[in-house]
Amino acid sequence: MIAVQQIVDGITAGSIYAALALALVLVYRSTGLVNFAQGQMAAVSVYIGWSLVETGLPVWLAVVLTLLISLVIGALTERLLIRRFEGQEPLVAIVATVAVLICFNGLINLVWGGSVRAFPSLFPDDVVSFLGARATWGDVGTVAVLVGTVVILQLFFLRTRLGLALRTAADNPSSARLLGLPVGSLLLVGWGLAALLGGLAGCLVAPSVPLQPNMMDTILVYALAAAVLGGLDSPLGAVVAAWLIGIVETVAGANIDVIGSDLRIAVPLALLALILLVRPQGLFGHRDVERL
Amino acid sequence: MTATERAPAAPATLSARARPLRWVAYVVVAVALLAIPQFASPYTNLQLTLILVYGVAILGLDVLVGRAGQVSLGQSAFLGLGAYAAAYAFGHGWGPVAALALAVALAGVVAVLVAIPAVRLRGFAFGIITLALPAFAVPLANRLVDLTGGSQGVAVVATTAPEWTGQADDQWRLYLVGVVAAVVFWLVHNLLDGRLGRALAAIRVNEAMAAANGVAVHRNKVLAFTVAGLCGGVAGWLYLIAVQFVSPAILQLNLAVSLLVALVVGGTRSLLGALLGAAFFVLVPNVTDNISPGRSYLVNGICLLVVLFFFPRGLAGALRRLLTWTRHRVAR
Repeated sequence: MIAVQQIVDGITAGSIYAALALALVLVYRSTGLVNFAQGQMAAVSVYIGWSLVETGLPVWLAVVLTLLISLVIGALTERLLIRRFEGQEPLVAIVATVAVLICFNGLINLVWGGSVRAFPSLFPDDVVSFLGARATWGDVGTVAVLVGTVVILQLFFLRTRLGLALRTAADNPSSARLLGLPVGSLLLVGWGLAALLGGLAGCLVAPSVPLQPNMMDTILVYALAAAVLGGLDSPLGAVVAAWLIGIVETVAGANIDVIGSDLRIAVPLALLALILLVRPQGLFGHRDVERL
Repeated sequence: MTATERAPAAPATLSARARPLRWVAYVVVAVALLAIPQFASPYTNLQLTLILVYGVAILGLDVLVGRAGQVSLGQSAFLGLGAYAAAYAFGHGWGPVAALALAVALAGVVAVLVAIPAVRLRGFAFGIITLALPAFAVPLANRLVDLTGGSQGVAVVATTAPEWTGQADDQWRLYLVGVVAAVVFWLVHNLLDGRLGRALAAIRVNEAMAAANGVAVHRNKVLAFTVAGLCGGVAGWLYLIAVQFVSPAILQLNLAVSLLVALVVGGTRSLLGALLGAAFFVLVPNVTDNISPGRSYLVNGICLLVVLFFFPRGLAGALRRLLTWTRHRVAR
């Protein structure tokens, strides 16, 4: 029964990694970049949410508003900063996202200061039991929101015209341009949606951790591992990988004494290394085939 | 190079006339560099020493990232490994040369062992795997208290200025670090100025194409990773000489990311770029702290964005363009 509890805890933790990993995948699919600032942008969203709650808005309304503001911030970041680096050497673009990370971190310190704050719960604090495992409504809600998000994302990408256009622009920008698609605006939408998802990840994790400018740093490492493990271009892969990482990390951390709390972050990375050595393209990724 | 391509007539005569002048310039610069530590404050000397230390680490990173095109987030682990190895050696009464040998050997062995599996991965997967190095190294350093002093770190007296030099400690350390750094830069320059450099360039541009043309892709990538690790190890030894102290902070992912940022800011595939990047990394936080202590981080980020926006080829690239431009003006 202990094992069931650990798997439940793992899936809860994994769902938060998954939300941020989905954001990374979205950016990768739309611009071919790994956005190192994704976690920091999520932290900005959380702080904005905190301020909205402080003004007396109901928590849920505050979160919805936060997500909309995140969308705008993400879109603006792409248009004003990242656009300049698209189509250049990827290394410069990645470092540009690191610069964005540093700027947003500085911005949080400037606007909200470094002092630790608390974010209210989104769900009731009651505990539910099933199969001998216990979970708070917060845990259940986190998983439910994530599953809902994945379903909506899949429907959006596969069933709507905008989703199709986004996939076209990401897959082959020059062909998309020839088809008359506004590729620039589509990239902007991709970044905006990614920031929204990151904001969601932040709001889901915020009630259970203290608010700090670098609160999302560790989660970003897990999310990066999940996104790469899932194959970087597959949303479903990212979610499955994030859950796998959450479960393996929790189970290993609880049952293997050597690991303890400080080496826990090394567990998903070791898992990632082992799996990638067998499947370099990730669990759900596509193998790159190149014609010379 | 671009100068000769753009204006083929003028530079031939110019360079013939300029050659003795250039040697005079070299001598003047060398004498100036040697004289600086005599007039600078101990604080300035420490800053200069640190620039050289990080310059060596960034130079190694450039071999892997700039030349071979494999983005690495693990360089801080090699820097830390070298520093801890040196701290152990100095702490147990070894001489500086033995300490250097230990630092380099450990860093090299770890680099080869990590590189052999890691280089099979491409692109971002490789970067994320290298991220595991700091993630493992920090808890490990915290736990091996007997070797590393745990989270407190270890302080050792690495070297003090010998009597006969008549130098203060900070001056002696700067000279020592400078000489070793110069040797490393010279070695790496020679290593890249030939078969390996061309092989890495081919791998960077297109791995499949490089393999099809007979470049041993895996072996050369392992070699690049090892050179990066070795430079990291030397830089760690230099760090210990400069600071006389090491703690797990040096192993952290933040530093690995900062070194990558510094590499791009300085300019990839350039020896001068490694030094300029290191200077940016060491000096800009000081300057921004002075301008506005509370906003240091924000100002630092903005400086970074400005450099990337206007000089995507880095500071070295900007300097090269400036030189080309002035040479054109002079030639006319």
